[in-house]
Amino acid sequence: MKDLIKITLNLAILFVVAGSILALVYAHSEPQIVRVVKMEKEKALKSLIPDASVINSAGAYEPIEGRTSHYYVARDRNGKTIGYIASSWSKGYSSFIHLFVAADPSMRIKAIKVLHEEETPGLGDDIGKQYFQDRFKGKTLDELVVVKAPDPTKILAVTGATISSKACTRGVRTGLEFLIKTYGPQSVAGGHNKDSLTEGSQKHK
Amino acid sequence: MSTAGKVSYVGLVKNGIFGENPIFRLAISLCPSVAVTNTLKGGLLMGVAVFFVQTLSNVSISLLRNFIHPRIRLPAFIFIIAMWVTVINLLLEAYAYSVYQQVGLYLELIVAFAIILARAELFASKNKVIPSFFDGVGMGIGFLFALLAVSFFRELLGSGSLFGYQIVNAKPVLLFVLPAGGFFVMGLLMGFFNWIDMKFFGGQGASGAAH
Repeated sequence: MKDLIKITLNLAILFVVAGSILALVYAHSEPQIVRVVKMEKEKALKSLIPDASVINSAGAYEPIEGRTSHYYVARDRNGKTIGYIASSWSKGYSSFIHLFVAADPSMRIKAIKVLHEEETPGLGDDIGKQYFQDRFKGKTLDELVVVKAPDPTKILAVTGATISSKACTRGVRTGLEFLIKTYGPQSVAGGHNKDSLTEGSQKHK
Repeated sequence: MSTAGKVSYVGLVKNGIFGENPIFRLAISLCPSVAVTNTLKGGLLMGVAVFFVQTLSNVSISLLRNFIHPRIRLPAFIFIIAMWVTVINLLLEAYAYSVYQQVGLYLELIVAFAIILARAELFASKNKVIPSFFDGVGMGIGFLFALLAVSFFRELLGSGSLFGYQIVNAKPVLLFVLPAGGFFVMGLLMGFFNWIDMKFFGGQGASGAAH
């Protein structure tokens, strides 16, 4: 009986002390964390379309079940629309991949950015690296196909991580498809000549 | 007294690095070690994180060793370890976000690391604060050292690079990046350390000297 009281008291004191320490640390770091995460997101958006002067949230959609994504419109100083960004989710090899897709008004990919993935370290997590993300630059919806041998009009998979590469590409595809559906298929069919590019940007003047 | 004390502190640190190296001699916490050591960076960040958690837990558990009731010591130890991991996690996320993005995934795993609980039970709960501190430092450095050694070979052989910088241009051996390769490297290094111990220090090898 004496032991029981002692043990209870023991645990109670330990939990109260440790809980207070945690609460103190949390109270100090939480506002900072919110700030940092918001800043990181703004930085990520800006890095996708560097010449944009404002990037406004335009709404939200659901790329895969249970995950909400936001999409954004980027405008330059004169208020002309110069691009769109959609965040997107996709199920990878061992995690959910969260990414940004940026497209110009002709719906050609400007850049992508993987925000979060927990794929196999050293293999699948290479999809988060710049060299892989650069492979999406300038691609149209039809060109978002993963291949294992180099092909400049397709997406070359990360060596040894075809599943993660495909998952990432699927996420990009979902995002781009959504942007096309929302902002018009200015050049989905052709999309290779300059005319369609200027046409697209004119529409949004 | 003071000189004798100093020698034993150095001895405690040395013990963590060589005599009872968590990975090469005690062979515990192998699973998370295999998971993070396919890049040198992963090994380094994890090693540093374990170093801090090990030292902080050892000191706080040693401080509380007379207060914690023996029958609830394990939950109490885990609780203290979890508290430190959470504190480090929150502080990193708030003040070193880029580092947090690299290690956040592994950091929470440290709570369940056998080595930290093992040192709490075997050493910190039976010894005074200062020796416990040095034991924690030694074990932390030993763990860091082992992770660096393993990840050095794995990244070099498996990706042909070190810290992400390409070193070898030949096609690397993918196996070393995968978990199986991790066990090969770890096993070979373990054998190598046994060999050094037997050859130069007259030891009996880890299996014979186990306790």
